[in-house]
Amino acid sequence: MSKVSMVVGGSESTADVVSMTVNGKAVAKAVEGRTLLVDFLREDLNLTGTHVGCDTSQCGACVVHVNGKSVKSCTMLAAQADGAEVRTIEGMADGADLHPIQKAFNTHHGLQCGFCTPGMIMTAADMIARHGGNLDEATVRAELEGNICRCTGYHNIVKSILAANAEMHGASAAAE
Amino acid sequence: MSYHRPDALTDALALLAAGSPTILAGGTDLYPATSAQELRGDILDITGIAALRGITDAAGEIRIGAATRWSDLVAADLPDAFDALKLSAREVGSVQIQNAGTLGGNICNASPAADGVPPLLILDAAVELVSAAGHRRLPLAEFITGNRATRLKPGEIVSAVLVPKAATAGRSHFLKLGARKYLVISIAMVAARLEEDAGVIRSAALSIGSCSAVAVRLPAVERALIGQSVADFDIPADLVGQALSPIDDIRADAHYRAEAAVELLTRTIKGVVP
Ligand SMILES: Cc1cc2nc3c(=O)[nH]c(=O)nc-3n(C[C@H](O)[C@H](O)[C@H](O)COP(=O)(O)OP(=O)(O)OC[C@H]3O[C@@H](n4cnc5c(N)ncnc54)[C@H](O)[C@@H]3O)c2cc1C
Ligand code: FES
Ligand code: FES
Repeated sequence: MSKVSMVVGGSESTADVVSMTVNGKAVAKAVEGRTLLVDFLREDLNLTGTHVGCDTSQCGACVVHVNGKSVKSCTMLAAQADGAEVRTIEGMADGADLHPIQKAFNTHHGLQCGFCTPGMIMTAADMIARHGGNLDEATVRAELEGNICRCTGYHNIVKSILAANAEMHGASAAAE
Repeated sequence: MSYHRPDALTDALALLAAGSPTILAGGTDLYPATSAQELRGDILDITGIAALRGITDAAGEIRIGAATRWSDLVAADLPDAFDALKLSAREVGSVQIQNAGTLGGNICNASPAADGVPPLLILDAAVELVSAAGHRRLPLAEFITGNRATRLKPGEIVSAVLVPKAATAGRSHFLKLGARKYLVISIAMVAARLEEDAGVIRSAALSIGSCSAVAVRLPAVERALIGQSVADFDIPADLVGQALSPIDDIRADAHYRAEAAVELLTRTIKGVVP
């Protein structure tokens, strides 16, 4: 393995340790500079819920939150997330209690093979947070632009997200 | 490979002067283009440099830091003349791409299909370049010289895009034509900015991208629009054709692009004054 040096911030010291908070837990690991965030999560932290479905940054199977914003973890180095708060699909459930979005995907059959699901759920969480309850079907469909599903035809994914939104924002009308 | 993410622009410029690291901003062009599956060589990540991010209003111009992300642009409070730029921002990939990708990266990558370029051309935007030796400015129209080609010299970073206040009058609109609605590379895109007076066009700035190697302004068509009614105007198709050298590629042939350009121009102008 080639020697890699990383200089982050103003510090002149050569460091090859990346540290960040992942799902609320501080982690620090030595990685090669070229390591993608998605590989860091999957290979170094064994958080294999974040998937890789393409090499063109298109499919969205790898979506995680970095400092509260949804990004594609295949399109970012682990070193770029140094010091950041990262949230993955593993950070959504509260112990055995599934997150409302996960529950909604379950209830409304928002998945078939499930490969796209972690990315769908992370995108949905970001969407629901940003629109603060004012989410309609057209917006959900438009914002799913960066997430590709080859099984469901999207219909039940949209239904699941709208149902989760209603649940999380206490809206009376459930998605139908 | 070494990875650097300095906080200070001077440190970044020193690193650039000392070697030839690849500049990395949002990485949304760089990573997908890396067919080797991993980045090679040294990387200079400029997103830690606060001076390269954000939008400021000073000295007769609006300054947009090169590392400003598309989602920051969408959220910014800007004059109506920037509506075309904001609309283009929403068309760049998807939300996740807009949260990472930057305006500077879009310009420097210099794809004929770069959605940010036509909206900046109608704002008479200039590009500020810095290096350890100093800084210089170029009109955006001169900075991009061809498909994936710019006047960026070794050792230089694009630090900002500058829009003169004089070009922020009126209202603007942007439309993009793709083979489908979402996550699509443009076949053609149009940005238009108009000033009107009681329904009569007083000035027009028009730009078309993806129909030639570099997006262009259409000065002859702009002149022909002056004095016409915003509700009922005529776009001389021959003048549009002369200004473009439509490209033939996998997404559309030249003939289709030439016709689409005229139709898209018409719809975009109608969109400025709904
Ligand atoms: C799924 C997907 C969809 C996309 N859809 C669109 C779309 O619809 N429309 C569109 O226009 N683009 C699209 N893009 C392309 C890309 O997202 C944009 O061009 C984006 O603005 C690039 O910015 P970046 O910061 O990610 O650039 P990077 O990838 O970081 O850099 C791009 C290039 O510019 C250089 N560079 C970056 N910043 C500077 C600087 N300040 N000074 C000097 N050189 C610099 C880099 O060295 C590199 O060569 C898409 C990309 C993906 C992955
Ligand atoms: S793996 Fe497909 S977008 Fe990241
Ligand atoms: S459920 Fe199979 S890809 Fe979406």
